[in-house]
Parts: sequence; C-alpha cells; structure tokens
Amino acid sequence: MAEEHAGQQSHGGGSSFGGGRPSGPGGGPGGRPSGPGGPGGPAKRGKRSFVRKKKVCRFCVDKADFIDYKKAEILAPFIQERGKILPRRMTGTCARHQRWLTVAIKRAQNIALLPFAAEF
Amino acid sequence: MDERQYDLIFICRPDTPEADIDKVIATLESTAAEKGAKIESTAKWGRKRMAYRVQKLREGYFVYMVLKSSHGEVVKELERRLKVADPVIKYLTVRLDEELKRQEKLKRHRDKRAARRPRKTVPALTGATSMPPVSSEPAPVPPSA
Repeated sequence: MAEEHAGQQSHGGGSSFGGGRPSGPGGGPGGRPSGPGGPGGPAKRGKRSFVRKKKVCRFCVDKADFIDYKKAEILAPFIQERGKILPRRMTGTCARHQRWLTVAIKRAQNIALLPFAAEF
Repeated sequence: MDERQYDLIFICRPDTPEADIDKVIATLESTAAEKGAKIESTAKWGRKRMAYRVQKLREGYFVYMVLKSSHGEVVKELERRLKVADPVIKYLTVRLDEELKRQEKLKRHRDKRAARRPRKTVPALTGATSMPPVSSEPAPVPPSA
C-alpha cells in the first residue's frame, strides 16, 4: 500500500519536469521542479508521504495574453512584504508569464504603484 | 511606418487645484498636436496613495493618458514639459504597441485553435462508435486486458 503510494508520487515528480506549459486547459503539469533529490528519489522509503498541492500558473488559468502594469492589485500578490518579486518556484507562475510579470512589476514600481522596498 | 502607442502617466502634487492639472493636460495636448501626435484618451485617476514617498509626499494626483504617434520625438518633448511643469512630481512613459501587437497575435492564435478543436474531436467521437465521451485525445489504445 505504502509502496504503491510512493510509486505514484515518484511518477508525479517525473511529470512535473514538463514545467508549466502555457498551452492546455489545466495549465499543464505544474508543480515545482523537485529539489536536489531528483524526481522520485526521496519518496522511495516508507515515510509518510504528503501530497504536494499542484501549483498552477494563475495567468495561464486566466489565459492572460498581457499583464497590465497599471493594475497594482493584480501584481501585489507576487511581491513579498518587503517589496521583492516572488520567485517562480513560490508562486507556480510559468516562465513566460513570470517574464511578463517582472516587467509589469518593475514598471509599476517606477510610477509608485508598487514599492521598491518597504518603508519603515 | 507603424503607429506607436504610448502610455503616459504623471503624478501631481495632491494639493494642486483641478484647474492647474487641466492646464498641464492642455499643454501636453497642444504639444502633442504640434508634433503630429494624438492623445487618444485622458483619464484622471484622482488622488491615490503612492507606494513610497516622492518629494516627501505620500499621496499624489494620478493622470493617465494614451498617446499615439508615428515617431518617438514627441515623447522627448512631452517629458521635457513634464519635467518643468511645477505641479508634476513624477511621470512615466511606456511604449506599448509592440506588446499589444503580441497580445493580438496570441489572441488570434488562441481563437484559431479554439475554432479547430471541436472539429477535430467530433469525427473522432463518431469514429470510435460507442466510446464514453472522453474529453481528451481519441485514445487509439483499446482497453485490452
């Protein structure tokens, strides 16, 4: 039983290497690239395996062709409290949308819609 | 040559009277017209809190404009005007037409694919006779035991 479960998880780890491709209705196989252990490496043992929630690119779900820098409320979830841009592995954004997102955030920063750094 | 599109945003001091802001907008419009550009739309976003302090001010009066021009010279002149205008504390010009073009292209592509997809699945379903309506590929692999 436990073994079967582990096998399943390793399969999931393997598929996660597909990355968040923008095509496809579900945003493609999301999830973050597995860590140093490689796909399916660490989950072999009978430890309690937890199912990681699959992260999906939010912009792919919305089928966004353009990220507007003027809508600060859309960009706000992608920055840290201190004003840093969150990395892809935290948010699950796909590569293409992350690229657009960073540009949008930087523009918004320049016109004081988003902070460069938190103020004291 | 293609028409370029710019976004022009500027922020005025929050205590400027409305008349002064209108004056700034008017000068920008006339300058743009002189240079053969056109301001498509102007939107006053009103007083908003800025994300950080600019010239020790926490709030600002935001004005947003869309500019259309066939060359970039206008932007230079407009930015110079904004720099010398007294109530303006911050401004930003962004060229957007290339991104909008890309957006159009992606949208067209998506529409085309969306139009093609149902046509592809319908014959597959009829060909597979009494298969349950699986949404994905026609799945040529029969369920052999």
